[in-house]
Amino acid sequence: MDERNILDHQFVVAAYTVTWVIQLGYLAFLGVKWRSEKRNAERKSRPAR
Amino acid sequence: MKKVLLTLFPLVTVLLMVQGYHQAIYVAPDDAMQGYVFRIIYYHVPSASVAFLFFFISLIGSVGFLAFRRSSPNRAQIADAWALAGAEVGVVFCTVVLTTGPLWGRRAWGIWWTWDARLTTTLVLWLIYVSYLLLRRFAAGPQMQTLAAVLGIFGALDVPIVYMSNRWWRTQHPAPVFGGDQDSGMKDPTMVHALLWNMLAWFCWGLLVLFLRYQVERRHQEYAAIEAQEALEASA
Repeated sequence: MDERNILDHQFVVAAYTVTWVIQLGYLAFLGVKWRSEKRNAERKSRPAR
Repeated sequence: MKKVLLTLFPLVTVLLMVQGYHQAIYVAPDDAMQGYVFRIIYYHVPSASVAFLFFFISLIGSVGFLAFRRSSPNRAQIADAWALAGAEVGVVFCTVVLTTGPLWGRRAWGIWWTWDARLTTTLVLWLIYVSYLLLRRFAAGPQMQTLAAVLGIFGALDVPIVYMSNRWWRTQHPAPVFGGDQDSGMKDPTMVHALLWNMLAWFCWGLLVLFLRYQVERRHQEYAAIEAQEALEASA
């Protein structure tokens, strides 16, 4: 591999990695939000002492 | 049936993702002019397409909210949840577009960014929808959803401008992959296949995330309605 190909390869890896970090990061954020909404709903459905 | 679909769809999406990656990295050939770095396009173009589609869903949701907000509050809340989900997931995909684009541009053009029509209108689109999300996050009161719906409709007006920008104006951005003139687009069928596989994969991924976001928002709305009802009862 010459230098140009190595650099091209690094940029492709960077682009694919950034894409997955953004997408999986958002999925994780949704998971946290889902859990917090679920907890809120459970707290509401529990009878008050 | 619903449970089977809910299990099967994520599985199919993951398989499509693997197939899309395989096609993009191992099957599609290097581009004659740009070489290996052209493979960034297999993630960049589908992300842009899905972002546009979800901003359109946000537009439909916003119009639906404004149409139903007085006559049918429940329908209006459903439309509002779709509007928010479309905008938020659209912003995620648009962020991917605005990060993979400069990475490709640095190798293909030698620069990270240029203020040409396609890039600038895409950045404006992203900023409009980020402001939409900030409005929803920080504004309070009964008018918030209405204001957000109006902003969502204005934001969606930028989508056709972004799409047409490299047809209407001379831009540094490459010619359109789809719907361009005879000289534009991909010539090699294996490249077209790789792009279509990734389009399908990212579309399914987007649908999955959109559905999740919608469900989270509906839960939030239900919780907020119970809280409002309790507050009313306590003050009565």
